[in-house]
Amino acid sequence: MVFNSYTFIVFFIIILILHNLPFSWRAKKINLLVASYIFYAAWNPPFILLLWLSTVVDFFVGRALYQQENINKRKLLLVVSLIGNLGMLCFFKYGTFLLENFTTLVNLAGINYHPAKPNIILPAGISFYTFTTLCYTIDMYKRKSEPVKSMLDFSLFVTFFPHLVAGPIVRPPQLVPQFENPHQASQKQFLNGLFLLCLGLFMKVVLADSLLAPAANMVFNSSAQLRTIDAWMGVLAFSGQIFFDFAGYSTCAIGVASCLGFVLPQNFMYPYAAIGFSDFWRRWHITLSSWLRDYLYIPLGGNRKGSFRTYINLMITMLLGGLWHGANWTFVAWGALHGLYLCVEKFVKDVSTAKVSTLAYANVNEMPGSAILRNKHLSNLALAMMTFFFINVTWVFFRSPDFTSAWRMLNSMFSPIKAGTALLSTLAIIEVCIITFLMVLAHWLMKNTKVLAVAEKLPWWLLGIAWSIMILLIIWSQESSSSFIYFQF
Amino acid sequence: MTAPNFLKAGILTIVLVVLSVASWELHLRSSGLRPSYDDGESLWADKRAMVYMPSDKATVFIGSSRNKFDLDIKTWEDLTGEKVVQLAMEGMSPLPVLDDLAADQKFAGKLMIDVTEGLFFSASPRNTSEPKTRIAYFKKRTPAQRFSFLVNHVVESQFVFLDKNFFSMNAMLEELPIPRRGGVFALPWGCPIEFGRVTFDRQNIMTEKFLRDTSLQNKVTGLWNFYRSISTDKPASGATLDSFINVVVKDVKLIQARGGNVIFVRTPSSGPYLMGEKMGFPRTQYWDRILLATGRQGIHFEDYPATAHFQCPEFSHLKQADAIIYTQNLVSILQQEKGWVFPHKPMSRP
Repeated sequence: MVFNSYTFIVFFIIILILHNLPFSWRAKKINLLVASYIFYAAWNPPFILLLWLSTVVDFFVGRALYQQENINKRKLLLVVSLIGNLGMLCFFKYGTFLLENFTTLVNLAGINYHPAKPNIILPAGISFYTFTTLCYTIDMYKRKSEPVKSMLDFSLFVTFFPHLVAGPIVRPPQLVPQFENPHQASQKQFLNGLFLLCLGLFMKVVLADSLLAPAANMVFNSSAQLRTIDAWMGVLAFSGQIFFDFAGYSTCAIGVASCLGFVLPQNFMYPYAAIGFSDFWRRWHITLSSWLRDYLYIPLGGNRKGSFRTYINLMITMLLGGLWHGANWTFVAWGALHGLYLCVEKFVKDVSTAKVSTLAYANVNEMPGSAILRNKHLSNLALAMMTFFFINVTWVFFRSPDFTSAWRMLNSMFSPIKAGTALLSTLAIIEVCIITFLMVLAHWLMKNTKVLAVAEKLPWWLLGIAWSIMILLIIWSQESSSSFIYFQF
Repeated sequence: MTAPNFLKAGILTIVLVVLSVASWELHLRSSGLRPSYDDGESLWADKRAMVYMPSDKATVFIGSSRNKFDLDIKTWEDLTGEKVVQLAMEGMSPLPVLDDLAADQKFAGKLMIDVTEGLFFSASPRNTSEPKTRIAYFKKRTPAQRFSFLVNHVVESQFVFLDKNFFSMNAMLEELPIPRRGGVFALPWGCPIEFGRVTFDRQNIMTEKFLRDTSLQNKVTGLWNFYRSISTDKPASGATLDSFINVVVKDVKLIQARGGNVIFVRTPSSGPYLMGEKMGFPRTQYWDRILLATGRQGIHFEDYPATAHFQCPEFSHLKQADAIIYTQNLVSILQQEKGWVFPHKPMSRP
């Protein structure tokens, strides 16, 4: 079930009514659990079994991991959990990809092997709930937190429908304590939640699906060599589409949870205002990047084992982060580019830190360009624009179905194609330009605040007008029920 | 902002949204428009799921827009006592749907195939992509999509403004007088809204305004001419035509072998459009050949005085008044000449 559908509206109204009836807290939690299973089953009922399996295995393995004193048995239990979770993910998400690559390799070795293409359906959100359960068992292994006492609370933690299929990726301490005591939304929480739900739907339905997706799809689905302006407009359109689609989903999820009285972690913080790539990953898909940092980068050694190992760890983390997004080498290339950016950024920072310390006694005012450098706001803006530019280059690999298409697109973007094909209409170009400009401007102006904080400062009538414009545009766009891009990850 | 202030903003939002939507709806209704259904993949999939009705309870229709304009569903259902399952698609070849029905072991019903030669014998992906998309959607429909369709049906039946083709944001932005970019393909104009309103059964009906206003009719004929001028597709011939015929023969045999009943229909066209069709697709090489190869019966509108005289307002589709007469004659020909029996027709009931 997707948030932007009539089914969800009916479903959510029923859930709100049930959650606000005078039932016991346990009954309300059972309602939410059943609702979460219905939410998931509405997509493909048999895959509920996978969710159950993952939940039951990790609940008992997690508890045993925490209680077991024998180090070998603990390691064995951890391996069981990792094999269970990652094995499931590997089979469903990477099964076809692995087989294709294996076939290519053996064919290159001269062995004539051509297996039938497996018909594996990817369960929605498997990457998200696998990471949710995985962090629980790893935490139990490290004894970072207490095991969840109740199977009901654990099941609800894994399955809670707002975050189930596309995050935010929650950690047990962020959500489980909220299930232990009765939660009901205050009037403010409820209204904030509704506002966020509308804002998220506006981002998804109006901006991503209605205004940007047509241009992005047209450009990326084309097999022609495009004119430079068409290629750039397509990339900018996708840049906006992926942000509004995914951040829209997260905003909806946070809003829906808030209507029910729960708090989910923030997942986006105006990423296109990022100054540098490490800043970008502090603002884009925050719960995934912090997960990768805590459960991959730091265990690999982080920055504690010298510069060279730091670079290697950064690359490994980003390559696997790329692969997490999809079973295709283009996603690995996307991750590799981000890893490379982070490495270069770290190198430049290390070098400039060393230089600054040697220049500490020099007269900075006499340095060329010092006036610009002293204007922190302007130089930050320039750095943010540069970051945005390089991020756009990475989206080419993220969106292209294969490397041939990606190279063709990069070629169109960076070398003038005289006889290139013109694809986009004047209207599409105007739409992409206006939305991209407003998006980047909004990110820049709001980079250190939150949308609710801004909304709360507005006069009530102005907020009401803005809110109603969003809803009217959602109705007017008449785009409904299309899946969120991140469902496939 | 305190919670009460947020509450005031919320109440203002509801008031503004309700007033705006109501005003927009009243404005559209005042211009004489009535609700029309979005004839997209979900409505098509809903009808596709109905093909499993017993063969004495329903007839399935595939083809292109002529089937949707020319068959008056109420007339058919009143005369035969059977349901119409309309699966035709505007501007599309029926062959992907025929393939799909032939491959579906559960389908063994009555099938009427509209042969609009320019589309039926077209190998262009333009004419087959949409049917393939809809078939894929039907096969992968989730429970949530089915439920959303049910809710959508209730909502759509009440509001004129929920006409995605004409009143959605993108459709209206397209109408802005923005200069066209050189080298980018664009239609000179679209079909006017009055040309066809769609019922829940997927019948297209021309409005009274369209029938009165010749400038609207000229707009549509101009569009047909534009399509013809940009088309680089030549009528299929030789091996291409043979492969078309072979596919149809194979599919028809599969359906017949399961107990199904297939019949071909050539629906009316008129004026220069009909002349062009006759020149491009001589009857002996296309229509006659398909009947001969499949061994199935066919009803060509020119063979019957009762159906040969229609004048289509834009040369290609019937107005509803004529569609009623055409459907009455079609049912009569089927019963009297083609041996079709409708056991549930009102007059045969005790």
